[in-house]
Amino acid sequence: MNPTRAEDRKFQKELNAGTAALVLLSVVSRASEPMYGYQIAKLIDAGSEDVPMMKQGALYPVLRSLEKTGLLESTVEPSVTGPPRRYYRIAEEGRAALDRWTAIWNENKGFVDSVLKGIYHE
Amino acid sequence: MNRAIDDYLVKLKTALAGADNATIQDALSDAEEHLTTALEQALAQEPGLAAEAALGTIIETYGAPAEVAAAYKEMENMTPTALAIPGLRITRPRGNRFFGVLGDIRTYGSLLYMLLSLATGIFYFTWATTGLSLSAGLIILIIGLPFTAAFLLSARGIALIEGRIIEGVLGERMPRRGTFFRRDLGWWGGFKALVGDRTTWSAILYMILQLPLGILYFTVTITLIALSLSLIAMPILHYVFNFPIVQMEHHAYYLPGWSMPLVVMGGFFLAIVTLHVARGLGRLHARYAKKLLVKEGK
Repeated sequence: MNPTRAEDRKFQKELNAGTAALVLLSVVSRASEPMYGYQIAKLIDAGSEDVPMMKQGALYPVLRSLEKTGLLESTVEPSVTGPPRRYYRIAEEGRAALDRWTAIWNENKGFVDSVLKGIYHE
Repeated sequence: MNRAIDDYLVKLKTALAGADNATIQDALSDAEEHLTTALEQALAQEPGLAAEAALGTIIETYGAPAEVAAAYKEMENMTPTALAIPGLRITRPRGNRFFGVLGDIRTYGSLLYMLLSLATGIFYFTWATTGLSLSAGLIILIIGLPFTAAFLLSARGIALIEGRIIEGVLGERMPRRGTFFRRDLGWWGGFKALVGDRTTWSAILYMILQLPLGILYFTVTITLIALSLSLIAMPILHYVFNFPIVQMEHHAYYLPGWSMPLVVMGGFFLAIVTLHVARGLGRLHARYAKKLLVKEGK
């Protein structure tokens, strides 16, 4: 479903902005090796064909912000053909944060789902 | 490298106008890395593909310059700058601006920087003057140009490292990645761009000026610290170690006993003044370093 109405796009954008940090943290934590930005963006795109995620360019500032708060670590390695690449891997603190955020997400999801099903009116 | 990528980077830079110069540099590096990698892989999968057409799709999914710029600006507003970690600001000075300096974490960072600057100043100065004179001397030989290029690149690297130190201890936002150079220029074009870039030369100027500045910072700070500590310790020096204030030939002069509380208070006062001086110098130096080490946004 690709939202075309302006208010739908706004809703989608706000939802994505709220979950981007959790999604990125999870993607990086599951990788067996450090990943660079393009790989992460590709992986997210592949898994979100029905859900329009945010623009790939908007993922990078989130990665930097996660690094700045100590949840991700990064190293820069030169590449043969282009500019150097920044490889991200999850930090210890990041794993702890991911567990906590997953719990928060599940609570939130459960709450929204139950509101949508209307259990509060029974 | 591709013309269209360069065009995109220029547009992104324009869209980022008003953001912190260091953020601009980060955003440009990210975009350059992503677009180049994406184009490379697209061409590897479909060798016959026209680069222009492939880039259109790639840029479409990466986001328009304005969108990407907005994401960086938003993140910049949300991310605390170095040392401004919320937990550390609990001791926010209340009312009294004079004693407030004691609770400001940047004071101690500045103090550290003032003491460190003599060592880094000597190193930077030696590196810059040696590099400049060897470059000038070797220019008539074949190895002259590669040597000059290596030296100029090293100056930019040192500028980046100095920026990291300044962000860490003085708290001024500085670049986290090097500046981007167009990659379609070739060896000679790249060299000309390096020589023609204002930041290359202002970084070298910074390295040279860092020696006199470092000597000044170090001397002023050490003198003030020593003076305040000796004033605070005056009663102990007088009565425990019998250490006079002035000694000439066979005459030793001591301060009268009633003046001791005043002297000690004066010592504490001077210590706090020292912290103000260190923090003030640190702020000035951070602003000055940003002018010389960071490329100006348009």
